[in-house]
Amino acid sequence: MLPALRDLLPRGGLARGSVLAVPEFGLLCLALAAGASAAGAWCGIAGVPEAGLAAAVGTGLDVERTLLVPDPGPAWPQVVASLLEGCELVLLRPPATAPVQVRRRLEAVLRRAGGVLLVAGDWPGAQVHLRVITQRWTGLGDGHGRVRACCAEVTADGRGEAALTRTRWLWLPAEDGGVTLADPVDIPVPGSPVTHAPPGLRAASAG
Amino acid sequence: MRPNADSAPQRIMVVRCPSLCDPDTSTAGPQAARLFERVIGAVTGFCPNVEAAELGVCAFGARGPARYFGGEGVLASKIIAAVTELGVESRVGVADGIFAALLAARRADPASPVNPASPINPASPINPAGPAGPAGPVLVIPPGGTAGFLAAQPVSVLADQDLAGLLKRLGLLTLGDLAALPASDVASRFGDAGEAVHRLARGLDLRPLAARPPADDLSVAREFDPPEPLAEPVVFAAKTLAEQLHAGLAARGLTCVRVQVRITWADGEESSRLWRHDGLLTAAGVADRVRWQLDGWRAAPPDGQYAQGGIGMLRLVPDQVVRATGHQLALWGEAVVSDRVARAAMRVQAMLGHEAVLRPVTGGGRNVSEQVSQVPFGEKREPPLAVGPPWPGRIAGAAPGVVYPVAREAEVTDDARRPVTVSGRCVLSAAPARLVIEREPPRRITAWAGPWPLSERWWDAVAARRRARFQLATDDGRAWLAVVRDSRWVIEAGYC
Repeated sequence: MLPALRDLLPRGGLARGSVLAVPEFGLLCLALAAGASAAGAWCGIAGVPEAGLAAAVGTGLDVERTLLVPDPGPAWPQVVASLLEGCELVLLRPPATAPVQVRRRLEAVLRRAGGVLLVAGDWPGAQVHLRVITQRWTGLGDGHGRVRACCAEVTADGRGEAALTRTRWLWLPAEDGGVTLADPVDIPVPGSPVTHAPPGLRAASAG
Repeated sequence: MRPNADSAPQRIMVVRCPSLCDPDTSTAGPQAARLFERVIGAVTGFCPNVEAAELGVCAFGARGPARYFGGEGVLASKIIAAVTELGVESRVGVADGIFAALLAARRADPASPVNPASPINPASPINPAGPAGPAGPVLVIPPGGTAGFLAAQPVSVLADQDLAGLLKRLGLLTLGDLAALPASDVASRFGDAGEAVHRLARGLDLRPLAARPPADDLSVAREFDPPEPLAEPVVFAAKTLAEQLHAGLAARGLTCVRVQVRITWADGEESSRLWRHDGLLTAAGVADRVRWQLDGWRAAPPDGQYAQGGIGMLRLVPDQVVRATGHQLALWGEAVVSDRVARAAMRVQAMLGHEAVLRPVTGGGRNVSEQVSQVPFGEKREPPLAVGPPWPGRIAGAAPGVVYPVAREAEVTDDARRPVTVSGRCVLSAAPARLVIEREPPRRITAWAGPWPLSERWWDAVAARRRARFQLATDDGRAWLAVVRDSRWVIEAGYC
C-alpha cells in the first residue's frame, strides 16, 4: 500500500477478500493497484483499455507483474473469476452495474482466493468506497507551462470499520510521478492562475 | 544420421543434376523444380534425410547409407541409375564436408563439358587423391583426402566473386595458397567473410548439414462417433492423445513450439486454437488446454450446449517442429511467471483468445500511446521502440492516467465560439476557451499550454505525422492532452 493512501483505508491497507469501489477510473485506481504491485503482488486490469500505464509505473506499478485484459466481453464475470485465481489484485471496470447474483459469486471467489477486487464503477456491496472530490492540476498557465502535478481531495467511506468518512488532500501525482500527502499550505486555490508560484516545487521543498 | 560436430568429419554425398541447375540449358522454371522434386523423391529412397542445397543439387550424410548399400561407389551408381530412370542426368560427389562434396560433384565427369560458370582449367590435376569409385559421373574423395583435393582448386570456385578476385590479385591462386595462411591473419585482413572462406579452404564446414526430417504427419486424432456432446470424455481422450503426440515427437528427437488443438464439430465445422508448448507441457497440461478451449466455446451456463452440436473429432497438431534441445530457465532477466498466474492467464486466453491477455512493456517513443506497448501473454516481451535513445519532443512532466486507445473527437473554441485553428507555422488563431469532447457537456478551459509541434517520420510519405499538441486544464479540475492533426482537434489522453 502506498504510504500516502494508508490513512484513507481502515487498518491502513487493502484487506484480503474485500472489494474497493472508485466511481470513475483514474489515477486513484492505478495508485491503489500500484501500491499492491510494488509490494510484490500480481495485478490484473480488466475492462480498462485506456489505463495510462506510464503514469501507473510512476506511482509504483511493476509492469512485469501486470496482466491486462482490455476487453473481457460479455463473459467478464468468468474472466474476473479466472484472474482472481492468479492475481492478488484485480482492477475491474464492469461494462454495466453487475447484477446481484454475479456480485455474490465474484465475492465468494474473492474470499476463497484471498485477493482484492478494485472496481472502477458501481459496486453496492463494496467494503470501502473511495472517490476524488476535487482535483486541481498545477503547472499550466495562459499559453505556457506544463502539467506538473495534481492536488486531489480524496474521501473514503464504507461499511463496518470503514464507516467513518476520512478525507485527505493528496498529490496525485506529485511532480516525480509518485503519490504523497499534500501539505495544506500547498493546496492550490481554485480559480487563481497557478503557474506564478509552482506549488509542486513548494510541495517538494516542504516534503 | 544426425550431424554430429564432435565426430570425425562427416561424409557427405552430393547429387547434382547439371541439366536442372545450369541456367543456360533448356529446362527451367517450374518444370525444373517439379523434376527436381522427383529427383529428391528418388534419392530419398536411399537416404531419408536429404537436404536440397539449391535447384538441381541435393546432399545427405553418406556414412550410413554407404555402409548399408556396400560402399560409397555402389551407392552413388545406384542413385545415378535411379535418377536416370526419371530421364535426368546426374553426377555424384562424395567428400568430407559439404563444400568439398559440392565441388566434387561439379568435377565428377571429366568428359563432360566444363560448366562455363566455373572457370577451371580441365587439364589441371583436379583429383590428386585419385578417384576411388567407379569411373564416370562419380567422384569420391577418400576420407582424409579432402584437404588435398581442395588445395588444388582455384579460388574462383568461391561463391564470393569479389573476394575471389581480390585473392587472385594478391597472388593467392588456389584454395591451398589461402589455407596455408594463418587463420588469424586472414580474419584480420578480410573479416568474417575471409574467416569463412579460410575454413572452407581448410576443408572445414561452415555448418553441419541440416537435413530436414521427412515431413511426417505427426499429428494425432481421435474420432467420436456418435459426436460427443460433453467436454469431459473429450478431455479424457485428449490426455491419451497428448501422450501419443509426445511419444511420437520424442521418438524423433523433436519438440514443438506450439500445439494446435483442432476440433471438428458434428456439423462439419472446424475450430482450432494454437497453444504455446515449447516442449514444456505435460500430457495433462495439453488436456487442460483442451478443456479450457472447450469451455470457452460452450454457450453460457443456462444453455451449456455447443452451438455446433457435438464434437466429432479432436486433433492435436504439432506446430513449428524443432529439434529438442532441452530447456533451461534464464538465470537473470524476465520475472518468472508463477504457475498460478500462468494458469489464470491461459484460462482467460482460452475464453477470449490468445490476443486478449496482454502484458505491458515499457518502451520509448514520443507519444504517450507508444511508451507502453502490450504483448500477448506467453510471447516474448520486447518494446517496439527502444527505451535507450532520447526522444526529443516527448512531453515532459506528469504522465496521463487515462490514455485513449482511439483518440476522442473534440471541439475547441475561443471566447467568441469560433473554432481555434493552428497555422502551418504553429500560430494559434485565438486562445482556447471552451472544450467539447464528443457529446459530453462543454467544459471551460482555465489554463492551457502549447502548441508543441511534432513532425515524425517526414521521410516516409505513409507514416509521416505532423501534429501540434496542447495541454488544456478545464474547470472540472481535469487536464487533457489535446492534439491538432489535419486541422482537427482530438483528445489523446486525460490527466485524471
